[in-house]
Amino acid sequence: MTTTVTPPETKPVEKTKRPRLPKSARAGGQLHGGPIAYAILIVFTLVSLFPLVWTAIAASRDNQRLAQTPPPFWFGSGLFDKLEIAWKDANLGEAFFNTTIVAGTSALTIVFMSTIAGFAFAKLRFRGRGALMLIVIGTMMVPPQLSVIPLYMMVAKLDWTDQLQAVILPSLVSAFGVFFMRQYLIQALPDEIIEAARVDGASSWRVVWHVVFPAARPAMAVLGMLTFVQTWNDFMWPFLVLTQMGNPTVQVAVAGLGRGYTPDQSLIMAGALLGTLPLLLVFAIFGKQIVGGIMQGAVKG
Amino acid sequence: MATRNDTAALPVKGGAAPGRPPEDAAAEKERRRRDRLSRRWQRDIRWSPYAFVSPFFLLFIAFGLFPLIYTGWASLHQVELTAPTDMNWVGLRNYTRIFDDDFFWNAAKNTLTIGIISTVPQLLMAMGIAHILNYKLRASTFFRVAMLAPYATSIAAASLVFVLLFGRDYGMINWALDAVGINPVDWQNDKWPSQIAVSSIIIWRWTGYNALIYLAAMQAIPHDLYESAALDGANRWQQFIHVTLPALRPTILFTCVVSTIGASQVFGEPLLFDANKGTSGGAEHQFQTLGLYLYEQGWVAQHLGRASAIAWTMFLILIVIGIVNYVISRRLRASS
Amino acid sequence: MRARIRTARKAMVVAAVASLGAGLLAGCADDGGNGGSDSSDGDSGGKTTISVGLFGTMGFKEAGLYAEYEKLNPKIKIEQNVVERNENYYPALLNHLTTNSGLLDVQAVEVANIAEVTATQADKLEDMSKAPGVDKSKWLPWKWQQATTKDGKTIGLGTDVGPMAICYRTDLFKQAGLPSDPAEVGKLWAGDWAKLVEVGEQYKAKAPKGTFFMDSPGGLIQAILGSEKEKFYDSSGEVIYKTNPAVKAAFNLTADAAKKGLVQSQTQFQPSWNSTIANNKFAAIACPPWMLGTIKGNSKPDAAGKWAVAVAPKGGNWGGTFLTVPKSGKNVKEAQKFVTWLTAPEQQAKLFKVQASFPSAPSTYTMPEVTGATNEMTGDQKIGPIFAEAAKAAPVQVIGPKDQIIMQGLTDNGVILATKGKSAKDAWESAIKTIDNKLDQ
Repeated sequence: MTTTVTPPETKPVEKTKRPRLPKSARAGGQLHGGPIAYAILIVFTLVSLFPLVWTAIAASRDNQRLAQTPPPFWFGSGLFDKLEIAWKDANLGEAFFNTTIVAGTSALTIVFMSTIAGFAFAKLRFRGRGALMLIVIGTMMVPPQLSVIPLYMMVAKLDWTDQLQAVILPSLVSAFGVFFMRQYLIQALPDEIIEAARVDGASSWRVVWHVVFPAARPAMAVLGMLTFVQTWNDFMWPFLVLTQMGNPTVQVAVAGLGRGYTPDQSLIMAGALLGTLPLLLVFAIFGKQIVGGIMQGAVKG
Repeated sequence: MATRNDTAALPVKGGAAPGRPPEDAAAEKERRRRDRLSRRWQRDIRWSPYAFVSPFFLLFIAFGLFPLIYTGWASLHQVELTAPTDMNWVGLRNYTRIFDDDFFWNAAKNTLTIGIISTVPQLLMAMGIAHILNYKLRASTFFRVAMLAPYATSIAAASLVFVLLFGRDYGMINWALDAVGINPVDWQNDKWPSQIAVSSIIIWRWTGYNALIYLAAMQAIPHDLYESAALDGANRWQQFIHVTLPALRPTILFTCVVSTIGASQVFGEPLLFDANKGTSGGAEHQFQTLGLYLYEQGWVAQHLGRASAIAWTMFLILIVIGIVNYVISRRLRASS
Repeated sequence: MRARIRTARKAMVVAAVASLGAGLLAGCADDGGNGGSDSSDGDSGGKTTISVGLFGTMGFKEAGLYAEYEKLNPKIKIEQNVVERNENYYPALLNHLTTNSGLLDVQAVEVANIAEVTATQADKLEDMSKAPGVDKSKWLPWKWQQATTKDGKTIGLGTDVGPMAICYRTDLFKQAGLPSDPAEVGKLWAGDWAKLVEVGEQYKAKAPKGTFFMDSPGGLIQAILGSEKEKFYDSSGEVIYKTNPAVKAAFNLTADAAKKGLVQSQTQFQPSWNSTIANNKFAAIACPPWMLGTIKGNSKPDAAGKWAVAVAPKGGNWGGTFLTVPKSGKNVKEAQKFVTWLTAPEQQAKLFKVQASFPSAPSTYTMPEVTGATNEMTGDQKIGPIFAEAAKAAPVQVIGPKDQIIMQGLTDNGVILATKGKSAKDAWESAIKTIDNKLDQ
């Protein structure tokens, strides 16, 4: 741990070296957004959030009201009742716990595996690199809709039905993550830093730990978020291997909501809303991690 | 893994081996230590890349390979979902029949048009949004989180919302169009409106997703590049063109590849856009994509053999697209 | 500063690795013990847990039947896994059946899928005709037949059926100058579906503005075909839908009605179709008892009591469910006992009272639960006898494995096009092209 290659403290030095620029001339990450930027973002945010908000509105209304024109634009009075019914009927407490384990394990493992694999593909030289990378990309090209059938045969043979590892382990095969990290590190990790670390006698593992991980942090956060959401919302596969009585994930648990001659849309929406809310929390945590600049000083080094 | 590596370190070892007078014991010890380090170093350089990529491949072999082999094998057979291990050899028939399969080619055309209508604006908008998000902003975490809200919204909820939005008689969009005096559009049943509607769901769902990917890459662009560009008198737009875009090239390539693959496999959005009519993608298959057609063949019609052949044909088409792309870009590079 | 960052980072990584390990451990160790149903012997606290897999609308639990059975059998606990949509439920069930894994003690099968399950998965399911206490004569003969294999094994016991009638709006009929009394209305079209379409023309001549006679072309053709003895398959199991004159006639009659503007251009159960119920846009609908539930679910309160039920031109069936017991279930014997009890006439009658799932046991048709039944949407009309008559009049229809695909092709890729200006011939061509492509292995 003593001979780390953490970049030397260069920030103050840089500042003095650099000629001060008028604020308007500085660029990129350092610029403050103007009113137009905010306007665009606000419009975009509204469009992004609208269906989610409307989900909440729908959850607060009954079917008859939803079927009328004009449709409701504001909340009715039933939201909390419906949320409570959905929570109890779908037994969401247990489902949240299971899904957190599934999505958390998948996200952390994929981020870790993808980062080291992406680093190897981006920056290390080894025989078969090109071919292996093509295989990685190739695995993304086969449409996944059918794979679940043979995969289920495997899981049935292993007798893993109703067990969480049946959901977790297959989800870990993420060519997307490897490819993403490779492309990111090609750009974000200058060869000079790795060489510098090598000259200092750092092992590959140490390079990963002290150079690659810090450089990859924004991408790791984004990959973590994307993977977490994907696993959290996955339905088809968990639905095949889990039941509501065993270890349901959230999507499996809410699949039974609203049953009746006419599906009770508001209850379905209440379940969907409850299923989404924890994600927003996770985003807020990961979202803060998308901050670059850690390598800024080291780039020159 | 341990023993074989020694060969790699042999020359070093050989160079250090000859005996030395005993008084040099300390130096000898030091040398041995260095040899050991050097051997380890060699081993590390040589094998660590494989160690780093191995988790992915091990998991792939464990959970990804069998499904691929199974679907490949099934594509040469007549197999039904009701008995997926009961196979009847038909050779390449499932592939050859695709040539005369109007539904396949219709779906291929729809996939192409929906793919273009959805992917191009989506990536351009994502780039713009990422650029803005890269500014110093108040509440930047909030905006970043909001970007991903569409991806997080459960598909069931989103589809219900969009069906209500695009409904012909009672949908909000037609209601709004009516308010400004435009005739209602039959979003589900007319060809182009339905494709536009499906594309807009795709755009809504994936723009923020791609924006975050771009944003992460933009965060890695050193500030001094912008500063020197600014010193050279480049305005914001020129900085974006001459600094941001070139730096982002690997990530742009990534999103293009992933979006192309994703567009070729689109199936959730058209499926849910017409939830109760199931998988036919509209009464006249007007927005049935290849992914949806594949799903229909496999899960509804239950012909695993045919569906597998469609899946592998889609794979082959992507490979061809990839090769063409590669050749063209090489030509372009060579000529320039 | 640096030290702090490094420690923090280290702590983060340690936490990450730890949670990863914990997650994997928890994932592997927690194999449903607390859920109970899947622990190796299905035994929790001395009780045997029977797991029941259902979809959609069955409502046993809501009708209090589980509680009642648990009271009668203190050593039994019932747990259910319900999926709202059969489109999700059935493919998963098929996967579970073909691999013989992940099956619950009791699995429901919809009538649209029962022929396929009977034809292809019978070896994985118990022969319920041999279960103690099961008496074939308690069920409608056609209902029993639907779940019986060629070699005489009955793999599922019937719960409800969907005997078909026509539900209509008395207020709209009156405004259009038609009779509104159920008996008179029934006479208007007795015996012939074409007469129903004629009534539709009369309705249209004086229809209240903005309303249609019927809800959808799909509903109409489904009703007509539901009353045929043979529709898509003949008794030897051959697919005959293209050559069966009854199918063609039903298609043309529906397309004709669509051309004349008698049916809405809607697909049933889509949100926009739901809206037409809420907004009183049509006067009549082919109507098994469960459809009254659908109507109720989508209607504004002021529509209550404005509907009535009349006898359909011909008796037929639309919908219904079976309960099967997979051989690989954990408590086969107990499950069989439970299913036998649950589908017995008394329980069917209780279910109908709460749930409008019409019984498949004819002995219930004289019970007060059926004879005295009313519905909120139809006011004080006694609707039980009409449905009972329809159930008894329904033919022993030949059903086949791909009925659902063929029906969906005829409706969603066929007659619906006639409402959009295509000729009946073109719509038919389009439908059979879609269907043949799906049938062709």
